[in-house]
Amino acid sequence: MSDEEHHFDNKADAGASKTYPQQAGTIRKNAYIVIKQRPCKVVEVSTSKTGKHGHAKCHFVGIDIFTGKKLEDIVPSSHNCDVPEVTRTDYQLIDISEDGFVSLLTENGDTKDDLRLPTDDQLNAQISTGFHDGKDLVVTVMSALGEEQICALKDIGPK
Amino acid sequence: MSCFFGGGLFTIMVASKALEGQGENQESAICTVAIRLMTQILNWEFRGKLAVLGKSRASTLSSSPASRKSSEQLQLWHDLLVSPAKVTWILNFYEHIHQKGNAWLDLPLSVVVRQLIVLMCSLNGSIFPTDGAGTQEQHLQRLLNCIISWIDPPEYVISAVLAGTSESEMLDGCRALLAIATLCSPSSFDQLLLSFRQTGTLSLLSSLTCGIIKASCVRESEEPSWTYEALEVLLETWTVILQPADLSQKVPLPPSGIEAASAVFQTFVEFEMKLSESSALDEDDADDMAAFSDEAREDRLSAVALIARTVPSVSLSLLTMLVSKCFSEIRQSLGSETTTRCLEQLHWLTILSGHVLADPGEGETPTVPESILAVSAEPATHPAVSLSFALIDVAQQSLDATFRTTLSPRMMEAIVWFFGRWVETYLMPDHAGRGPSSTPSGHEGQEVSVGVLFDGRNALNAAFGKDGGGPAVLEILVRVALTSLTAWRGEQVLQEYVSSRLLPALVRRRNVCVQLLSMGSWQELATVFARQDQMLLSLSDSVQRALSGCLCRSAQGLANADAANQYVKDLLMPMAASLAEFSGRKDLATFSQQPNVIHQVSCVLERLRGAARETIPRTQKAIFEVGVSIMKPLLVFMEIYKNQPSVVYLLLKYVVVWVDAEVVFLEPKDTTTVFNFCVQLLSVYSAHNIGKVSVSTSRSLQNEAQTEKYKDLRALLQLLTNLSSKDLFDFALHADENPDVAQVVYLGLNIITPLISADLLKYPKLCRQYFTLLMHMLEVYPEKVAKISPEGFSQILGTLEFGLRQQDVEVVNMTLSALGALGVFQYQALCKGDDGLGTQSRTSGGDDVLSHFLKLLMHFLLFEDYSNDLVEPAADALLPLILCNTALFEKLKQELVQRHQDVVSQERVSTAFHSLSKGIEITSTIDRSIRRKFRSNLFVFLNDLRGFLRTR
Repeated sequence: MSDEEHHFDNKADAGASKTYPQQAGTIRKNAYIVIKQRPCKVVEVSTSKTGKHGHAKCHFVGIDIFTGKKLEDIVPSSHNCDVPEVTRTDYQLIDISEDGFVSLLTENGDTKDDLRLPTDDQLNAQISTGFHDGKDLVVTVMSALGEEQICALKDIGPK
Repeated sequence: MSCFFGGGLFTIMVASKALEGQGENQESAICTVAIRLMTQILNWEFRGKLAVLGKSRASTLSSSPASRKSSEQLQLWHDLLVSPAKVTWILNFYEHIHQKGNAWLDLPLSVVVRQLIVLMCSLNGSIFPTDGAGTQEQHLQRLLNCIISWIDPPEYVISAVLAGTSESEMLDGCRALLAIATLCSPSSFDQLLLSFRQTGTLSLLSSLTCGIIKASCVRESEEPSWTYEALEVLLETWTVILQPADLSQKVPLPPSGIEAASAVFQTFVEFEMKLSESSALDEDDADDMAAFSDEAREDRLSAVALIARTVPSVSLSLLTMLVSKCFSEIRQSLGSETTTRCLEQLHWLTILSGHVLADPGEGETPTVPESILAVSAEPATHPAVSLSFALIDVAQQSLDATFRTTLSPRMMEAIVWFFGRWVETYLMPDHAGRGPSSTPSGHEGQEVSVGVLFDGRNALNAAFGKDGGGPAVLEILVRVALTSLTAWRGEQVLQEYVSSRLLPALVRRRNVCVQLLSMGSWQELATVFARQDQMLLSLSDSVQRALSGCLCRSAQGLANADAANQYVKDLLMPMAASLAEFSGRKDLATFSQQPNVIHQVSCVLERLRGAARETIPRTQKAIFEVGVSIMKPLLVFMEIYKNQPSVVYLLLKYVVVWVDAEVVFLEPKDTTTVFNFCVQLLSVYSAHNIGKVSVSTSRSLQNEAQTEKYKDLRALLQLLTNLSSKDLFDFALHADENPDVAQVVYLGLNIITPLISADLLKYPKLCRQYFTLLMHMLEVYPEKVAKISPEGFSQILGTLEFGLRQQDVEVVNMTLSALGALGVFQYQALCKGDDGLGTQSRTSGGDDVLSHFLKLLMHFLLFEDYSNDLVEPAADALLPLILCNTALFEKLKQELVQRHQDVVSQERVSTAFHSLSKGIEITSTIDRSIRRKFRSNLFVFLNDLRGFLRTR
């Protein structure tokens, strides 16, 4: 890694909504990609050519990591695509408020109160029952392109 | 049987009379059936039948020896089946049908008669008297005389078919030719027709093939048409003639055959050139992707290449001429549609040239085709050399940045494919200079006076040998590889070809590697690679692996192990160092999550994996050191990338491959290092994944997550399996010198078993892999189980119980073997008075675990559904379990007996139990004979009892 590429790493949240260019041909299945301004996980890549003696192009099928919608894109494989920075942060769950917001404990001791319970019923139920049973829960929050969502849950044992 | 055949004939004779007057009627149906019967009879395996026949007759007559009988029988059969009169009768019969014209050709009757005739063409062996094949030849001549009217004159027949006549007759004609060609040598095949015509069979075959090729130009339907089928059959005929299955039977073609072959080749090339020209602008890229893998196309090209090789001078010169012509046209007409047409033609010519010049080297060392080698010419004018240089010229020009824009990725793919194949056969061959009359170097070759004739080998050596033009060509090829990887951005197919065909071909042989390492271009490639230059980082993952592997492999060209190790270290250490640098950064948490960093880390992991995969004894040390140097960074990455499953997977895969490559070589001290590292890695992985529930709004993302987990676990199991193989290599060493493999693997199993959920075990591969490992461990190291932690032990037993309930027979089988191994261990320990599984074997309820399995297994055998194949392994598992706890077994028996009220049933159950233990002597060892006895007892026992118990 050469030095000139290090210039954006000084602030903790600097990369939160950033995208990075990456050559389309190198983006493989299960990687992330921005399609129509949405962060997606690539579930299918196929390559083809523009005519027999043309150049290669990539056909991506991605799934929006927040909404689960399917999106598609075709890009010449030598061109760059935007790759979103997708981060997952673990927080300890402190409280669930009645209006469906959660209160989370950050690493430096502050609380983070701007997230709702997930829309997914299963996860939602697990969080709620787990919390009411007095279990110590750690939730994983996924963020990309400035958007956030609880995406996973881990039980680190009863209190 | 003979009556049958005669009877059949008789029926036909009668029926045919009726038939000839009228059209389709009952008689023709009878005829059809009768002829089918004859076809069936001809399809019999005569040798076997006759042997049986002869034997039985001999025993009834009991006078003459069987052999004489059978030869008499043969004569009898010959008279019946292929006597001239009968054959002629059938042929005449068909002749009548033939004359009735098109409407009759596809009637069932006509079809079966033709089938019969084709079948008669392929009759061979002892049915013909041993008179030097004279009878057989006459027989074939007779048939061919009739068949000829189906296919001759080719132009007339083909144009008739094009105009709408049914093609079935012509196709059967082709099939008959194939059948005849299989039985004859090329010259006798040619002679067959000469006996009653001016031209030989080969020229007929040739003009027929040419005609079909031309006709396929006219017809361009999507579906496999009759021209396609006919061409398949005819090309196969050529293959049979030119390359008989038994190579010792290979004889040169007669002169007329050479002409015929060259005509076919020229027509084929002409036709394909036209086709390429017209299809160049097609948008059909599905066809494009399958271009080289398409088996049918491959077969066809191989067949044509075989034809071309019989006339090397003609075919190679034609190809050279066309390649040069196309290429100069491409250079003149820059950027127009004509260029595309020429590119497509050149593309096709390149592929064909590859087939003609060289054989695919899969799994063996290809040699220069004999006929090409037999052409004697000076190095400069040898046709193979000229064609190679024409294509080398194309390759060289492709290096030019301005001209490159004229070429297409597809064209480059063909070039790279061609040289991948060509290199193994022609470039700096190992056997250089070993030929009978070879001159050692090309330079001397140039100076040899005109009077000395070159044979092909010398000419080729002078052009491409180590001391001839070899190094110069190699230089060009390395440059082509480098350019393809860097200048053709995003052309993955091309880059795949470079990394999986051309480069591996270059580093396969040691003498080529020696040359490579001394070349500037190779050094350049290695430097760009080691520097982690952006140009090469943008290659796809499989290309990264293959490239890295090839670079490491070339170390075999270095004179000693030290140099080789140093070379590999120079190649890989910079990358290992950058991983170490990353892992030591203060802002790692944010830095590491940037997509470009993730990309770079993934690339490096792929490269290291590719390098590890190509470990050779000579470079093992370097690869090991590199691996050790990144152990710490890898553990850090495992932690930091816990939410990036793709990186975790690559990391695990690298460790798996690395351990697999290294485990054979390791010293005890190093082994400890590796083992500790693996255990740490497993712990970190487990800590982050245990008890984690991820959900996602999308079902397909959910499935993906599941699949990722599954792949991770497979990699982990693979790692443990690789580790467990260490013991197999170090059998001879003292046990105390080596760290305890079993302990490590059990520890590993302990760590990952909780991660393997029942859901994941639904993946059959994972399930099998897991139980294979478990079985291996329990069979080889049962004593170690006694020492692992109680939780670990109960986990393992839990999975055994799970395994017993699986659907997959193989899994149940393995579970039973594992159980059996455990039982035998315990039983032997009991006999010796040892502790055996000791406290482990008591579960929390105070119950003995093996007793638990005994109950489970008895219940399984008596009351559940399972495949019969499982009874044997179940017996092997059951016996030691019973012996371990005879009291419990007795109790189970009593329970079963008392379930029944009436005395008769009780009697029956206890008799069955009695039969189970019949003949089993109890000793301290369970040997094979006891096992065998018990197996058969169990079968009897289950037969008696299972159905009875389940219905009551």
